[in-house]
Amino acid sequence: MLTVDRRAFLKASAMAAATAAASGASRAIALPVLEPRDGAPLRWQKAPCRFCGTGCHVMVGTENGRVVAIQGDQKADVNRGLLCVKGYHVGLALYGRDRLTTPLLRRDGRMVPIAWDEAIDIIARRIMADPKRFSFYGSGQWTIPEGYAANKFVKAGLGTNLIDANPRLCMASAVTGFLSTYGVDEPPGVYDDLDACDVAIMWGNNMAEMHPVLFSRLVDRRTRGEKVTIIDMTTRRTRTSDLADHVLYFRPHGDLAIANGIAHLLIRSGTWDRAFVEKHCNFRQLGAAPDERTAPAMLGVPMTFEEYARAVEPYTPEKVAELSGVSAADIRMLAELFGRRDIRINSLWCMGMNQHTRGTAINCLVHGIHLLSGHFGRPGDASTSLTGQPSACGTAREVGTLCHLLPGGLMAANPEHRKIAEGHWNLEEGRLSGTIGHHAVELFRRFNTPTAEGGDISTIWVQVTNPGQTMPHLNRNFRPKRDLDDRFLIVSDVYPTATTELADLILPSSMWVEKNGMYGNSERRTQQWFRMVMPPGDARDDCWQTIAVSRRLLELGHAGMKDRDGKWLFHTTDSGGREVPIWSWEHYYDVNVDERLFNEYRAFSRHKHKDLAPYAEYVKARGLRWPVVQHADGSWHETRWRFSGFDDPYVERGREFQFYHSVSGDDRALIWFRPHEFPPEMPDDEYPFWLCTGRVLEHWHTGTMTQRIPQLHRAMPKAYAELNREDAARLGIRSGDMVTIRSRRGELDLPAWIGGRGDPRPGDVFVPFFDEAKLINLVTLDAYDPYSRQPDYKKCAVAIERRA
Amino acid sequence: MDREPSISRRDLLRGRFFRGDGPGRDAAAAGAEGAGGTGGTGGTGGTGGTGHAPAPSGIGRRATLPIHRPPGAIDEAGFLTGCTRCNACVEACPVDAIVLAPPRFQRAAGTPMIDPHTNPCVMCADTPCITACEPRVLRPDQPLKMGVAWIETMACLAYTGSFCTVCSERCPVEGAIQVTQGRPVISAERCTGCGICHGVCPAPTNAIAIMPLFDRPAPAARAP
Repeated sequence: MLTVDRRAFLKASAMAAATAAASGASRAIALPVLEPRDGAPLRWQKAPCRFCGTGCHVMVGTENGRVVAIQGDQKADVNRGLLCVKGYHVGLALYGRDRLTTPLLRRDGRMVPIAWDEAIDIIARRIMADPKRFSFYGSGQWTIPEGYAANKFVKAGLGTNLIDANPRLCMASAVTGFLSTYGVDEPPGVYDDLDACDVAIMWGNNMAEMHPVLFSRLVDRRTRGEKVTIIDMTTRRTRTSDLADHVLYFRPHGDLAIANGIAHLLIRSGTWDRAFVEKHCNFRQLGAAPDERTAPAMLGVPMTFEEYARAVEPYTPEKVAELSGVSAADIRMLAELFGRRDIRINSLWCMGMNQHTRGTAINCLVHGIHLLSGHFGRPGDASTSLTGQPSACGTAREVGTLCHLLPGGLMAANPEHRKIAEGHWNLEEGRLSGTIGHHAVELFRRFNTPTAEGGDISTIWVQVTNPGQTMPHLNRNFRPKRDLDDRFLIVSDVYPTATTELADLILPSSMWVEKNGMYGNSERRTQQWFRMVMPPGDARDDCWQTIAVSRRLLELGHAGMKDRDGKWLFHTTDSGGREVPIWSWEHYYDVNVDERLFNEYRAFSRHKHKDLAPYAEYVKARGLRWPVVQHADGSWHETRWRFSGFDDPYVERGREFQFYHSVSGDDRALIWFRPHEFPPEMPDDEYPFWLCTGRVLEHWHTGTMTQRIPQLHRAMPKAYAELNREDAARLGIRSGDMVTIRSRRGELDLPAWIGGRGDPRPGDVFVPFFDEAKLINLVTLDAYDPYSRQPDYKKCAVAIERRA
Repeated sequence: MDREPSISRRDLLRGRFFRGDGPGRDAAAAGAEGAGGTGGTGGTGGTGGTGHAPAPSGIGRRATLPIHRPPGAIDEAGFLTGCTRCNACVEACPVDAIVLAPPRFQRAAGTPMIDPHTNPCVMCADTPCITACEPRVLRPDQPLKMGVAWIETMACLAYTGSFCTVCSERCPVEGAIQVTQGRPVISAERCTGCGICHGVCPAPTNAIAIMPLFDRPAPAARAP
């Protein structure tokens, strides 16, 4: 453990910057040599950053029970000492002045403080009264053990699948893309591809602002004299475009046409990788369209190569140019790059491809062109989705806190999988439900619909997220609750948010290093940290809250809270075999509950080759990428490139590639044909602009943490409407003027910003969603992808006018 | 601190650029201490204080000494004799950026100044401070330049591997901060030294310091 005093740290943080600047080629701000000085020593411990899915590690310096210093962690592979502007200030996220510190209950329209025992009892009785109308709603900000406890509580305890999470709004289409293509979720590639690729393609991805540390990793190769070509495919000029070699502006939904256009040219010019495709791929197209009630059929129907070639035949460069707005020459340039065997290509995307009413389709198409051209599975050749939340992968996707999943990638609708889960949880056969629950939009729609009209969800418990700001079309999917008396909204959070505003019961939570935790980042890396400081006031861990409600339900006689042997679902013993009353906060940290839950969850990770190591291994490491397998000497080893024989221990010896979870059951990946289609709402005379929403560098998600950090708030204090210069001139709008953005669903006034950080194409307008005072989701559309059920926040039709 | 060079980083960040700068040295040592900001915790950096105390009379060859005057100020010698300390500019400023110089500024104490590190000038288009100035030591025919911003690249996120463009985006003067290859560069010519960039800089240690102008020109025709 390093020790250093605060004065030395402050000096060091500035000097560290100096070191990096002086070395020029260095990507990271190098840690200075820290010498213990006079004064109280700081205690330094590792933790992943609280914010995005990149998974940078920070060193957290604490003194007298407070976090007082943050440094990038040089030992971390992900960031090697570098942090983004948010990361450098992450410690301050704990110390906003309005932290929630006591449970609050709505009585006669006012929030009044109550005791924890009463709060837990209210929740338990509410669930006990009507368990089938209760749903949990969380996010990728749940730690792995928190998500696991909530998932077990709902699926094993209540016997429903009524749990969903924010990744539905964020990563669901990436999941369906990976599942349809490889038969198993999560990227085969890793961040190391950024170090090895010759060409990086951003598919609607503003990496410089959203994953700045990764973008640094990429562009800093140039300062070392390496050549890396960055191609930015985008609907607006961003900070990423400024550093790109080629900027290709496309029309919303034009990405579908571009991907098909590349496939068309690869086939027409014969530059597709025949050997790779004949050995490792099958072709698929859509079968029957999914309906609302059943799980979407992800398997499609087989097609031959000839049929596939005919399907992409119409996507000539000229036709694609017409559909997408990207020139035929640029389409040819892309296809020529994919046609080359001597370069490595890394495709990257985030919300641009996922928040898309054809999100599954575009995800499949991008995987498809990588497979078709053989740009797969070698360092630098990968199609990789990046995540927005710190544990969207680790918790929501791997632990399965979604309405159709069980832990470890098992499916709730699959009887075999349910049987496996019942085995791990020691439940009698048939306890787990095969009826999938409600995806996020559907869940909140039902919660906001009167019972008489089919609204069959009466209680939602929200942890670690902010649907009051993030749900699309808030006027339909969040606000009507206000007038429905029989609805009960429970919110566990650290600050007042747009969600707590409508809450009936607010529970104050611990956050980040105020509790033990584990996260899993975008590249399958599982990370661990310990509690370093105490939560303020009466705030308590989310995981404890779930466990305490489960215990209260057990006391009230809820049969589901016991396993088949009559033992409580969260029964925990000490080393002597005596039960530890972890439902009581005073005893919650008598044992490491995280370790117990994680080691229990680990058993699930074997079924889909997502093997996790024992908890103790993560304590030692700056994260490990699964599958983590044990060698004969007892050591544990992570895997970087999945399905590649040279690195993945699950590929049979001697094989170059093996897709061992293949949908078609023959170790092959699927290349899908999906047509170009137009989005459900497009600009017309009345609503002539495309609205795209998104994020900014300084704020993370809904800004509830970052808006309370003075440096970040000053740097980006409020939301704005980013307009194209020509459009603004035509409408007589100047920077700073207030404009009204109106859709068929709602309207919002915002200051215009022209020629600022970004610049949309003519006819587009961009609005960030971080500002709780300017809820752009009053305006957005709640149409979603029929397979992933992920809504499209990137496209809807709006009118813009200057306010008098 | 004993082994550090004569101009330390801390001094640079606090805007004390001129230590050991010829005849001003004694005055600097006597007057400029104590104005600095304090480093915060958790990576918060603070800088504060600005400018220099004017040297004791009769020792400098310079006509003016560095104090951060409001926009449109005439040469320092003329300002000191012409300013009536009427407070009209202080009252006219819509953001209270103009304050009275504290006693450490000695001869200039009580005259209007701006501390761009604590409360920047917002560069009003209609310059109410100039309009309010009856003795015409703030004049519309003078340049609006008060000083110049300076990026400490060792602290700037954009120069140290991360991404940031906030200063250039929020700068009120077109072209004063240009971003080249992701890094902000200040045009000393266009920058007016208003201090907004310092206020919005989100780097853990604030990367921007504002230097007051050394030599302001005398007006073409001095007011009676």
